Amino acid sequence: MSPTPIDAQETPGDRDLEDVERVLAGDVAAFEGIVGRWRGPLLNMAWRYCRDRGRAEEMAQEAFVRAWRGLAGWRRESRFSTWLFALAANVFRSELKRFPTVDVPIEEIDEPASEADQHEAAAERGRNESVRKAVLALPQRYREPVILYYFHEMDVSAAARTMGVPEGTLKARLARGRELLRKRFPKLNERSAWRQSSTLHPPKEVLP
Amino acid sequence: MRSSVAPAMSSDAIDRILAFDEGIEPSFGFQAATMERVRAAAAMPEPIPFPWRRAVPGLVLAAGVFGWGAGEAVRYALPEARQILLNPPAISPASARGLEAAGWVALALAVSFCSWILSVRLVRRSSLL
Repeated sequence: MSPTPIDAQETPGDRDLEDVERVLAGDVAAFEGIVGRWRGPLLNMAWRYCRDRGRAEEMAQEAFVRAWRGLAGWRRESRFSTWLFALAANVFRSELKRFPTVDVPIEEIDEPASEADQHEAAAERGRNESVRKAVLALPQRYREPVILYYFHEMDVSAAARTMGVPEGTLKARLARGRELLRKRFPKLNERSAWRQSSTLHPPKEVLP
Repeated sequence: MRSSVAPAMSSDAIDRILAFDEGIEPSFGFQAATMERVRAAAAMPEPIPFPWRRAVPGLVLAAGVFGWGAGEAVRYALPEARQILLNPPAISPASARGLEAAGWVALALAVSFCSWILSVRLVRRSSLL
Protein backbone atom coordinates (compact mmCIF):
# COMPACT_ATOMS: atom_id res chain seq x y z
CA MET A 1 0.00 0.00 0.00
CA SER A 2 1.45 3.37 -0.95
CA PRO A 3 1.78 5.91 1.83
CA THR A 4 -0.87 8.61 2.05
CA PRO A 5 0.31 12.23 1.81
CA ILE A 6 -0.07 12.50 5.60
CA ASP A 7 2.14 9.46 6.15
CA ALA A 8 4.73 10.91 3.82
CA GLN A 9 4.64 14.31 5.52
CA GLU A 10 7.71 15.06 7.58
CA THR A 11 6.99 16.48 11.03
CA PRO A 12 9.21 19.06 12.77
CA GLY A 13 10.19 16.26 15.17
CA ASP A 14 11.47 14.17 12.26
CA ARG A 15 13.40 17.11 10.92
CA ASP A 16 14.92 17.72 14.37
CA LEU A 17 15.97 14.09 14.64
CA GLU A 18 17.43 14.14 11.16
CA ASP A 19 19.39 17.34 11.86
CA VAL A 20 20.61 16.08 15.23
CA GLU A 21 21.93 12.91 13.63
CA ARG A 22 23.71 14.90 10.95
CA VAL A 23 25.26 17.22 13.55
CA LEU A 24 26.39 14.25 15.62
CA ALA A 25 27.96 12.81 12.48
CA GLY A 26 30.07 15.97 12.22
CA ASP A 27 27.98 18.24 9.98
CA VAL A 28 27.95 21.55 11.90
CA ALA A 29 25.89 23.24 9.17
CA ALA A 30 22.97 20.91 9.90
CA PHE A 31 22.52 22.75 13.17
CA GLU A 32 21.26 25.72 11.16
CA GLY A 33 18.00 23.86 10.61
CA ILE A 34 17.52 23.52 14.36
CA VAL A 35 18.33 27.20 14.92
CA GLY A 36 15.92 28.17 12.15
CA ARG A 37 13.05 26.16 13.62
CA TRP A 38 13.57 27.07 17.27
CA ARG A 39 14.99 30.61 17.24
CA GLY A 40 11.55 32.20 17.65
CA PRO A 41 10.39 30.10 20.62
CA LEU A 42 13.76 30.22 22.36
CA LEU A 43 14.12 33.96 21.89
CA ASN A 44 10.61 34.56 23.22
CA MET A 45 11.26 32.32 26.17
CA ALA A 46 14.44 34.31 26.96
CA TRP A 47 12.47 37.54 26.48
CA ARG A 48 9.97 36.46 29.11
CA TYR A 49 12.80 35.79 31.52
CA CYS A 50 14.42 39.23 31.20
CA ARG A 51 12.27 41.65 29.10
CA ASP A 52 15.40 43.00 27.44
CA ARG A 53 15.75 42.34 23.71
CA GLY A 54 19.55 42.51 23.58
CA ARG A 55 19.95 40.28 26.57
CA ALA A 56 17.28 37.87 25.36
CA GLU A 57 19.13 37.43 22.05
CA GLU A 58 22.38 36.92 23.92
CA MET A 59 20.81 34.31 26.21
CA ALA A 60 19.05 32.53 23.35
CA GLN A 61 22.34 32.30 21.43
CA GLU A 62 24.06 30.91 24.51
CA ALA A 63 21.28 28.33 24.82
CA PHE A 64 21.82 27.26 21.20
CA VAL A 65 25.57 26.93 21.73
CA ARG A 66 24.96 24.82 24.85
CA ALA A 67 22.43 22.74 22.93
CA TRP A 68 24.99 22.14 20.20
CA ARG A 69 27.58 21.07 22.78
CA GLY A 70 25.17 18.81 24.60
CA LEU A 71 23.34 17.35 21.63
CA ALA A 72 24.69 13.88 22.33
CA GLY A 73 22.99 14.07 25.73
CA TRP A 74 19.50 14.20 24.21
CA ARG A 75 17.92 10.84 24.90
CA ARG A 76 15.31 10.14 22.27
CA GLU A 77 12.72 9.21 24.94
CA SER A 78 11.53 12.80 25.17
CA ARG A 79 10.73 15.19 22.36
CA PHE A 80 13.57 17.35 21.12
CA SER A 81 11.64 20.48 22.06
CA THR A 82 11.20 19.26 25.65
CA TRP A 83 14.93 18.69 25.96
CA LEU A 84 15.76 22.02 24.30
CA PHE A 85 13.39 24.06 26.49
CA ALA A 86 14.67 22.39 29.67
CA LEU A 87 18.25 23.13 28.66
CA ALA A 88 17.35 26.73 27.75
CA ALA A 89 15.56 27.22 31.08
CA ASN A 90 18.75 26.11 32.87
CA VAL A 91 20.85 28.50 30.83
CA PHE A 92 18.50 31.44 31.43
CA ARG A 93 18.23 30.65 35.13
CA SER A 94 21.99 30.60 35.63
CA GLU A 95 22.50 33.72 33.47
CA LEU A 96 19.94 35.63 35.51
CA LYS A 97 21.47 34.39 38.73
CA ARG A 98 24.77 35.94 37.67
CA PHE A 99 23.21 39.23 36.56
CA PRO A 100 19.66 39.66 37.89
CA THR A 101 17.23 41.71 35.80
CA VAL A 102 15.31 43.65 38.41
CA ASP A 103 16.19 44.39 41.97
CA VAL A 104 12.87 46.11 42.61
CA PRO A 105 10.74 44.41 45.27
CA ILE A 106 7.23 43.55 44.09
CA GLU A 107 5.78 46.00 46.65
CA GLU A 108 7.52 48.89 44.91
CA ILE A 109 5.90 48.29 41.53
CA ASP A 110 3.07 50.79 41.20
CA GLU A 111 -0.44 49.62 40.63
CA PRO A 112 -1.58 51.22 37.37
CA ALA A 113 -3.58 54.44 37.61
CA SER A 114 -7.32 54.46 37.11
CA GLU A 115 -8.42 54.02 33.50
CA ALA A 116 -10.61 57.07 33.79
CA ASP A 117 -7.48 59.17 34.24
CA GLN A 118 -5.81 58.01 31.09
CA HIS A 119 -6.49 57.28 27.50
CA GLU A 120 -7.80 53.71 27.31
CA ALA A 121 -5.08 52.25 25.09
CA ALA A 122 -2.28 53.89 27.04
CA ALA A 123 -3.88 52.76 30.27
CA GLU A 124 -4.02 49.18 29.06
CA ARG A 125 -0.40 49.25 27.90
CA GLY A 126 0.74 50.65 31.23
CA ARG A 127 -1.30 48.14 33.16
CA ASN A 128 0.03 45.20 31.16
CA GLU A 129 3.60 46.44 31.52
CA SER A 130 3.22 46.76 35.30
CA VAL A 131 1.93 43.22 35.63
CA ARG A 132 4.75 41.82 33.47
CA LYS A 133 7.30 43.80 35.44
CA ALA A 134 5.82 42.40 38.63
CA VAL A 135 6.34 38.85 37.31
CA LEU A 136 10.07 39.54 37.10
CA ALA A 137 9.99 40.82 40.67
CA LEU A 138 8.44 37.60 42.00
CA PRO A 139 10.72 35.33 44.04
CA GLN A 140 12.60 32.95 41.73
CA ARG A 141 10.66 29.82 42.78
CA TYR A 142 7.35 31.44 41.75
CA ARG A 143 8.61 33.53 38.84
CA GLU A 144 9.77 30.67 36.66
CA PRO A 145 6.54 28.63 36.84
CA VAL A 146 4.56 31.75 35.91
CA ILE A 147 6.86 32.52 32.96
CA LEU A 148 6.87 28.95 31.66
CA TYR A 149 3.15 28.33 32.18
CA TYR A 150 2.20 31.26 29.98
CA PHE A 151 5.04 30.58 27.56
CA HIS A 152 3.69 27.05 27.08
CA GLU A 153 0.23 28.43 26.39
CA MET A 154 -1.07 27.53 29.84
CA ASP A 155 -0.03 23.90 29.57
CA VAL A 156 0.94 22.75 33.07
CA SER A 157 2.57 19.49 32.03
CA ALA A 158 4.77 21.16 29.41
CA ALA A 159 5.85 23.80 31.91
CA ALA A 160 6.56 21.11 34.52
CA ARG A 161 8.64 19.11 32.03
CA THR A 162 10.65 22.20 31.12
CA MET A 163 11.37 22.91 34.77
CA GLY A 164 11.97 19.25 35.57
CA VAL A 165 9.53 19.29 38.52
CA PRO A 166 6.35 17.28 39.19
CA GLU A 167 3.11 18.83 37.94
CA GLY A 168 1.82 19.17 41.50
CA THR A 169 4.85 21.24 42.51
CA LEU A 170 4.45 23.46 39.49
CA LYS A 171 0.73 23.96 40.17
CA ALA A 172 1.43 24.91 43.79
CA ARG A 173 4.15 27.39 42.89
CA LEU A 174 2.06 28.80 40.08
CA ALA A 175 -0.93 29.31 42.37
CA ARG A 176 1.31 31.07 44.89
CA GLY A 177 2.86 33.27 42.19
CA ARG A 178 -0.55 34.28 40.84
CA GLU A 179 -1.78 34.92 44.37
CA LEU A 180 1.16 37.30 44.95
CA LEU A 181 0.34 39.10 41.70
CA ARG A 182 -3.35 39.35 42.58
CA LYS A 183 -2.47 40.75 45.99
CA ARG A 184 -0.20 43.31 44.35
CA PHE A 185 -2.90 44.37 41.87
CA PRO A 186 -6.17 44.03 43.80
CA LYS A 187 -8.09 46.51 41.64
CA LEU A 188 -7.16 44.85 38.38
CA ASN A 189 -9.99 42.35 38.35
CA GLU A 190 -12.55 44.83 39.64
CA ARG A 191 -12.08 47.21 36.79
CA SER A 192 -11.11 44.80 34.10
CA ALA A 193 -13.99 44.63 31.69
CA TRP A 194 -12.78 41.89 29.53
CA ARG A 195 -14.18 41.84 26.06
CA GLN A 196 -14.15 38.33 24.74
CA SER A 197 -13.15 38.10 21.14
CA SER A 198 -14.93 35.61 18.90
CA THR A 199 -11.63 34.51 17.35
CA LEU A 200 -10.14 33.31 20.59
CA HIS A 201 -9.74 29.70 21.63
CA PRO A 202 -10.11 28.30 25.15
CA PRO A 203 -6.92 27.35 26.96
CA LYS A 204 -5.79 23.81 27.58
CA GLU A 205 -6.01 24.22 31.32
CA VAL A 206 -6.77 27.02 33.74
CA LEU A 207 -5.75 26.89 37.34
CA PRO A 208 -7.76 28.43 40.16
CA MET B 1 5.13 30.09 19.12
CA ARG B 2 2.19 31.57 20.94
CA SER B 3 0.12 34.67 21.64
CA SER B 4 -3.22 33.67 20.15
CA VAL B 5 -4.42 31.64 23.08
CA ALA B 6 -6.91 33.34 25.36
CA PRO B 7 -7.76 32.43 28.90
CA ALA B 8 -11.16 30.94 29.59
CA MET B 9 -14.02 32.99 30.98
CA SER B 10 -13.16 31.92 34.51
CA SER B 11 -9.63 33.27 34.31
CA ASP B 12 -8.83 36.72 35.58
CA ALA B 13 -7.11 39.84 34.35
CA ILE B 14 -3.68 38.53 35.35
CA ASP B 15 -4.22 35.52 33.08
CA ARG B 16 -5.41 37.69 30.25
CA ILE B 17 -2.42 40.02 30.42
CA LEU B 18 0.19 37.30 30.75
CA ALA B 19 -1.38 35.02 28.15
CA PHE B 20 -1.44 37.78 25.52
CA ASP B 21 2.21 38.66 25.73
CA GLU B 22 3.12 39.63 22.20
CA GLY B 23 6.73 38.55 22.32
CA ILE B 24 9.47 39.61 19.93
CA GLU B 25 10.81 38.59 16.54
CA PRO B 26 14.46 37.61 16.16
CA SER B 27 16.45 40.52 14.80
CA PHE B 28 17.99 40.42 11.33
CA GLY B 29 21.17 38.41 11.55
CA PHE B 30 20.23 36.53 14.70
CA GLN B 31 20.49 33.15 13.00
CA ALA B 32 23.78 34.02 11.31
CA ALA B 33 25.24 35.29 14.59
CA THR B 34 24.10 32.14 16.39
CA MET B 35 25.64 29.90 13.75
CA GLU B 36 28.84 31.93 13.93
CA ARG B 37 29.03 31.23 17.66
CA VAL B 38 28.29 27.56 17.08
CA ARG B 39 31.00 27.34 14.40
CA ALA B 40 33.46 29.11 16.71
CA ALA B 41 32.63 26.59 19.43
CA ALA B 42 33.08 23.75 16.93
CA ALA B 43 36.44 25.12 15.80
CA MET B 44 37.76 25.34 19.32
CA PRO B 45 40.13 22.53 20.21
CA GLU B 46 38.90 19.87 22.56
CA PRO B 47 39.56 20.78 26.21
CA ILE B 48 42.85 19.34 27.44
CA PRO B 49 42.08 16.36 29.65
CA PHE B 50 43.39 16.39 33.19
CA PRO B 51 46.83 14.73 33.22
CA TRP B 52 45.90 11.93 35.61
CA ARG B 53 48.92 9.84 34.72
CA ARG B 54 51.30 12.59 35.82
CA ALA B 55 49.20 13.76 38.74
CA VAL B 56 48.58 10.40 40.39
CA PRO B 57 52.14 9.94 41.87
CA GLY B 58 52.01 13.48 43.31
CA LEU B 59 48.53 12.92 44.73
CA VAL B 60 49.55 9.61 46.28
CA LEU B 61 52.66 11.21 47.79
CA ALA B 62 50.63 14.12 49.21
CA ALA B 63 48.02 11.75 50.64
CA GLY B 64 50.80 9.67 52.22
CA VAL B 65 52.43 12.72 53.83
CA PHE B 66 49.12 14.01 55.20
CA GLY B 67 48.16 10.53 56.40
CA TRP B 68 51.49 10.09 58.15
CA GLY B 69 51.14 13.57 59.75
CA ALA B 70 47.61 12.83 60.97
CA GLY B 71 48.74 9.45 62.34
CA GLU B 72 51.63 11.07 64.23
CA ALA B 73 49.34 13.78 65.65
CA VAL B 74 46.88 11.18 66.92
CA ARG B 75 49.72 9.04 68.33
CA TYR B 76 51.03 11.96 70.40
CA ALA B 77 47.61 13.38 71.35
CA LEU B 78 46.02 10.12 72.59
CA PRO B 79 48.20 9.57 75.71
CA GLU B 80 47.80 13.27 76.64
CA ALA B 81 44.00 13.10 76.30
CA ARG B 82 43.87 9.89 78.34
CA GLN B 83 45.96 11.60 81.02
CA ILE B 84 43.54 14.54 81.23
CA LEU B 85 40.50 12.26 81.36
CA LEU B 86 41.95 10.11 84.12
CA ASN B 87 43.24 13.04 86.20
CA PRO B 88 40.99 16.02 85.48
CA PRO B 89 42.33 19.35 86.73
CA ALA B 90 40.86 20.36 90.07
CA ILE B 91 38.18 23.08 89.87
CA SER B 92 37.13 25.02 92.96
CA PRO B 93 33.36 25.06 93.84
CA ALA B 94 33.22 28.81 93.13
CA SER B 95 34.68 28.33 89.65
CA ALA B 96 32.31 25.41 89.03
CA ARG B 97 29.27 27.62 89.80
CA GLY B 98 30.61 30.28 87.43
CA LEU B 99 31.17 27.67 84.73
CA GLU B 100 27.65 26.30 85.19
CA ALA B 101 26.15 29.79 84.82
CA ALA B 102 28.27 30.38 81.71
CA GLY B 103 27.02 27.06 80.31
CA TRP B 104 23.38 28.12 80.74
CA VAL B 105 24.08 31.47 79.07
CA ALA B 106 25.77 29.70 76.14
CA LEU B 107 22.79 27.32 75.83
CA ALA B 108 20.31 30.23 75.87
CA LEU B 109 22.32 32.02 73.18
CA ALA B 110 22.42 28.88 71.02
CA VAL B 111 18.65 28.37 71.33
CA SER B 112 18.01 32.03 70.43
CA PHE B 113 20.32 31.77 67.42
CA CYS B 114 18.61 28.59 66.21
CA SER B 115 15.13 30.11 66.54
CA TRP B 116 16.27 33.22 64.64
CA ILE B 117 17.72 31.10 61.82
CA LEU B 118 14.52 29.03 61.68
CA SER B 119 12.24 32.07 61.55
CA VAL B 120 14.32 33.70 58.78
CA ARG B 121 14.14 30.50 56.74
CA LEU B 122 10.39 30.21 57.22
CA VAL B 123 9.82 33.82 56.20
CA ARG B 124 12.05 33.41 53.13
CA ARG B 125 10.15 30.30 52.13
CA SER B 126 6.88 32.17 52.36
CA SER B 127 8.47 34.89 50.17
CA LEU B 128 7.57 37.68 52.59
CA LEU B 129 11.21 38.70 52.85
